[in-house]
Amino acid sequence: MLPIFSHILFVLALSPLLLGVIGKTKAFFAGRWGPPLLQPWYDIAKLFRKGVVYSTTTSWVFKLTPVVVMATALASCIFVPWGSIAPPVYFWGDALLFIYLYGLMRFFLIIGALDTGSSFEGMGASREAAFSCLSEIVLFMDFILLVMVSKSLVLCNMLNTGFFSSWLSMGPVLVLVAVSFFLVMLVENSRIPIDDPNTHLELTMIHEVMVLDHSGYDLGLILWGSYIKLFVLGSVLVSLFVPAHLSPLTGVTFFLCGMGVLGITIGVVESVMARLRLNRVPHLLIGAFVLATLGFIVILLKGA
Amino acid sequence: MILFSVSLALLSAGILCLALLRHKPRWAENVFLVFLTLGCGSAFISAVDTLIRQESFVDRLPWSLPWGEVTIGIDFVSALFLLAVTLLCFLAGVYGIGYLRNGEHQQDIAGHFCLYLVFLMSLMLVVTARNAVLFLLAWEGMSVSSYFLITYHDGNEEVRQAGLLYLIAAHIGTLCLWVMFILLGTQAGSMDFGRMSAAQFPLMLAGVVFVLGTIGFGVKAGFIPLHIWLPHAHPAAPSHVSAVLSGVMIKMGIYGIIRLIMMVKHFPPWCPAVLTAIGIVSGVGGVLYALGQHEIKKLLAYHSIENIGIIALGLGIGLWGQLNQYHTIAVIGYAGALLHVFNHAMFKGLLFLSAGSVIRQTHTGEIDHLGGLLKYLPWTGALFLIGSLAICGLPLFNGFISEWLVYRALFEGVFSFPMEPVILIGLAIIALALIGGLALMCFTKAFGTVFLGQARSQHAADLKENSAPMIAPMAVLAGVCVWIGIFPQTMVSFCLQGAMRILPTATNTADMANILRPVQWMVLSLFVLIGISIFLVLFRRMAMKNMSVAKSGTWGCGYAAASPRMQYTASSFASPIVELFREVLCLRRAKARPQQIFPEKVLVASEVIDASEHFFWRRIYRLMQEVCGRMKSIQCGYAQIYVLYIFIFLFLILIWKVT
Repeated sequence: MLPIFSHILFVLALSPLLLGVIGKTKAFFAGRWGPPLLQPWYDIAKLFRKGVVYSTTTSWVFKLTPVVVMATALASCIFVPWGSIAPPVYFWGDALLFIYLYGLMRFFLIIGALDTGSSFEGMGASREAAFSCLSEIVLFMDFILLVMVSKSLVLCNMLNTGFFSSWLSMGPVLVLVAVSFFLVMLVENSRIPIDDPNTHLELTMIHEVMVLDHSGYDLGLILWGSYIKLFVLGSVLVSLFVPAHLSPLTGVTFFLCGMGVLGITIGVVESVMARLRLNRVPHLLIGAFVLATLGFIVILLKGA
Repeated sequence: MILFSVSLALLSAGILCLALLRHKPRWAENVFLVFLTLGCGSAFISAVDTLIRQESFVDRLPWSLPWGEVTIGIDFVSALFLLAVTLLCFLAGVYGIGYLRNGEHQQDIAGHFCLYLVFLMSLMLVVTARNAVLFLLAWEGMSVSSYFLITYHDGNEEVRQAGLLYLIAAHIGTLCLWVMFILLGTQAGSMDFGRMSAAQFPLMLAGVVFVLGTIGFGVKAGFIPLHIWLPHAHPAAPSHVSAVLSGVMIKMGIYGIIRLIMMVKHFPPWCPAVLTAIGIVSGVGGVLYALGQHEIKKLLAYHSIENIGIIALGLGIGLWGQLNQYHTIAVIGYAGALLHVFNHAMFKGLLFLSAGSVIRQTHTGEIDHLGGLLKYLPWTGALFLIGSLAICGLPLFNGFISEWLVYRALFEGVFSFPMEPVILIGLAIIALALIGGLALMCFTKAFGTVFLGQARSQHAADLKENSAPMIAPMAVLAGVCVWIGIFPQTMVSFCLQGAMRILPTATNTADMANILRPVQWMVLSLFVLIGISIFLVLFRRMAMKNMSVAKSGTWGCGYAAASPRMQYTASSFASPIVELFREVLCLRRAKARPQQIFPEKVLVASEVIDASEHFFWRRIYRLMQEVCGRMKSIQCGYAQIYVLYIFIFLFLILIWKVT
């Protein structure tokens, strides 16, 4: 029980920081000081103190959405290792539960958006549903590759067993996995170049549109939930690069540095790229799928 | 076994009583309820008894058919199917009483109930028959009685057409099954299933039998491209009948394939590949077509095809494991398929019943005409939501458990099998992932458009929730969905045991404990999820206490005159994916662009066309019509000419005999 609690507290505390790092990087590129590193924390704290406005159109589904978003985000983190700290829960096939928890989150985000009856939110919901169909197949292709490399269906084993040997023998495959997973992570979290989370209303297309009518405490939960989602998916990516069998302290430090690098990378991508036109997003995802499939071919030819 | 015979006897008595009560609809309802409860109850208990005591029975009844005797048996696989059949048929029957009350066709109601019992009895016989002739008789009884159930509203032209299409399709399938069983019977020297399982079949014959079985059973199951009767028959039938058709009748095709695998055992190596490929095509095709549908029952019908695809994937990987001696993979794959059969019966039954209660109140199934029904039909809405979550395979609901098993078998196949199957299995995993994503889109679309937002028509305010006898069966189905979703151990271990019985060689039980252990861990993680949710709900309630909660309209982005009809429709919601796959889906659009300064009529209509129906089956039908039309000239109507035909025919036979 205790490891689960500490794992959850860890992600609760650190996930807004990742957003802070991204914000600082973007500010650096724009030549500004930018908001403080802890700004996402302040945002959440402010939202939790604010009152709530509900639309008269909405029903209990709308109020359930933030709870489900937060709960699924937190539940997904218990399968992910933080550096050398093993996840508190792992079992054969937990990788599938991990992916499908995000499915549950998405289902509720979408119906929460449709519950408002606003056509604008309907558009966002429709895009989210469509793009995530495509990003899910990329994610599964990546997982197939990891399963073939590690011969395991346990998420933490898929990510960091025999780090050096698998990078030596399967290096190209793991690079392809990392690149396509990075793209999936951007899509799943609606970051640039898929969607611009900072603009509101006029230019945002997917995630922020769906939560347009949420306010106060509910919005805080959803926001925090999406920070956690970014952090957890990011930590899956970073764990690929963390060597196994490090001492706990070095492992966690290595992991946290990795997360910092990830935040900076996302920040750089967001600074140097513009948002793609909406009809280009499927092309990007299909590109990522092709990369992952290349990895599949490489493994088949090497006869793993 | 005695209990099962009692159940058959009770159902026969019920059929007789209802046939005599044709002109007393009120009586008919009560008689139907009594016999349905007793019949289903005793059969259900006998199935549960078989599962718990792990004994199978075979009984020979003292009445001989030509080519054999009446042999009835319940083994593990039969019991699992029997469980789904009795549970769903009972609940749908109870619902049907409420559904048909005060509707049209009151005079036919006793006949309808009578046929419902005939249908139920033939379903029960199909899964317990241990003789090919009895099996085919029951199969035929099932097809014919379901034809009459589908055409209950036979005043409607479309319903009659759909019924006819179904009847033709069913008989094409039955034809293949006759040939298949005759081939098996001649090789084994008996039409008895027990003898057939003991016999050895050459690989060549096994291949032929496999193809015939896949076609014959596939028509019933709804494999693409043999599925065309499904999307017509399901919307045409009354909702409780569609629930049973989709929930259990199409599963009889799956049962047949499993029985075939149990009897023949050794297949050529391409058979699992064919089964997997069928699973991929049916799964992805079914859900893509569903996404393009705007009629709720038609949408659900296409989803049945999708779920049959998932079951076929499970069977395919299971057969692959069986033929390549990977017993663990085979057991997990078969268990996933078996559990999905049961799960699909539960959640699809639930969805059809709740769709029925929407249709009963609003008199339309057009998704884009509805909206905001969660406020008027709160129970129906909540139960439909549970069904949707379950069918999307999301955690906490039963669909996830069976899909998880299928995924697990596929993933283990990926790193255990040699290269050639791995390519197809990898494709199957991707297909299953795509199915999951698309199903999520389709059901957020259906639930969101029908139950959320504002009502798109004026008279929504007059709607009332349906009566308790209609809600209660749905609530039970939803309860089963959640029960299996949160406490899957019981059903998973039953299905694993069933899967072991499918394999020709015995597997050790240590294997089963290994397979079950992750399931227990999964339960733990689901409880973490539930615990966090409960905590958040309580915390939210506490935090909200001292906060202002205001009510206001939905933010309309500055536009003040929004009307309910301006809400995002189901067709717009689905359009990104439908557009992406427009070549596959044969998307057709009709448009009238606005013209002049004051445009009069503007219109956009889109329709997704079922390629296999329009470009394959209709062409074949036209060809047949042409050929048969030419042959019509033989039929001239003069008796003398017919006598001449007989003479010529006899003469030809004489010549053939002499030479």
